[in-house]
Amino acid sequence: MSAVGSSNPEYVVARVRARRGKLYSDEEYRKLTRMGPAEIARFMEESTYEAEINALGSRHGGVDLIEYTLNRNLAKQFEGILDWSEGRLYDLIARYLRKFDARNVKTIIRGVYVGASTEEIEVDLIRAGEFDDRRIRRLLEAESIEGVIEALDDTIYGPALEEAYADYEESGILVPLENAVDRTFYDHLLSGLGRDEPTRQYEAFLTAEIDFRNARNALRLARSGADIDPAEYFIDGGDLFTRDTLARLARNLDELVEYIAESQYADDLGPALRELEDADSLIAFEHATDAALLAYGDQLGTIHPVSVTPVISYILAKEREVQNIRAISRGKEAGLSDAEIEEELVIL
Amino acid sequence: MFEATSELGNVVLQEGQGTLTNPSAAAALAVGLAALGAGYAERGIGSAAVGAMAEDEGLFTNGLILTVLPETLVILALVVVFLV
Repeated sequence: MSAVGSSNPEYVVARVRARRGKLYSDEEYRKLTRMGPAEIARFMEESTYEAEINALGSRHGGVDLIEYTLNRNLAKQFEGILDWSEGRLYDLIARYLRKFDARNVKTIIRGVYVGASTEEIEVDLIRAGEFDDRRIRRLLEAESIEGVIEALDDTIYGPALEEAYADYEESGILVPLENAVDRTFYDHLLSGLGRDEPTRQYEAFLTAEIDFRNARNALRLARSGADIDPAEYFIDGGDLFTRDTLARLARNLDELVEYIAESQYADDLGPALRELEDADSLIAFEHATDAALLAYGDQLGTIHPVSVTPVISYILAKEREVQNIRAISRGKEAGLSDAEIEEELVIL
Repeated sequence: MFEATSELGNVVLQEGQGTLTNPSAAAALAVGLAALGAGYAERGIGSAAVGAMAEDEGLFTNGLILTVLPETLVILALVVVFLV
């Protein structure tokens, strides 16, 4: 509800645990991979997605229906969690969920830039973050990028965006604005975290996520051989890289792989790294980082059952479910075989 | 909360030596503190039970039973009253 008052992990954790039990199991994923898009939508209608399927069924169809249903359900569930939680718990959860705000801001800026209509932009938003409907409406009504930035004046993104706006005016490309949004998000993610044990676990998870994102970006840059300054894409707050090591390693793929193989993540990522050396395929590496994060997310909340960690663990599991269903339905649409789709899924 | 409770105990023990020489008063204090503990325990269990009920109404009975379990603390503490 808000960041004032004492936190109420008991209530939120009880609700979240009940919802976690309703997530799809391996068995259900196996069933889903054998269905077509229409059948998947029917299957979802019989589970937690019923309300969304019914609301959107008349306007959309096929894979689009599944996609919008997933987005809306995700938004509803996460909004709910933010609604219930109070005090410190709210602060900790909002940190992570602000990534949807950042995503929405970027979507809106991009939409305004290409001159998309309000409705077109609106269906692509995931309203899971901290912004309320009024602010989203104001953002959607903005006619120009300047208007969007003005509407964000009193949020955490305000100062950074205003600064980046000058760059944008000069160059006419969106990269400075998007970088400003991302950087603000990551700055707020790790600043001023508490020092109690559950929060430290949460922080370790966030750090791992930032490390993996840096590693992925570096690997992509190293592989593509493009002449881009890796430091530009560096995200602060990780454990594994500093700006300088990343800039140095991104030039040489072998050194980079070796560096990751010697880090604290070697156990989780070892097999994927070998595959990367042999087959030169980034997909395996990205799957391995996903699986490592998922495994970590599953462990979260087993040691401190009444804290923020079970809530975060649920949020991650739900995100994963949405990604998996989307992968299945998109894969079906593209005509991939069952085995190929199963490879795309991240299940433990 | 816990800090406050133990501090309260210290104050009572140090300054109220006159009080604690009276067995009935000491027993009353014991029951009162036990009730405070039970209330604190029920706070957490109650809010978790309401959360579970919000997701699944079938959990009402379980929630109710679990919520009043710490009440046994007060009942056991009440035994002290009859012993002194």
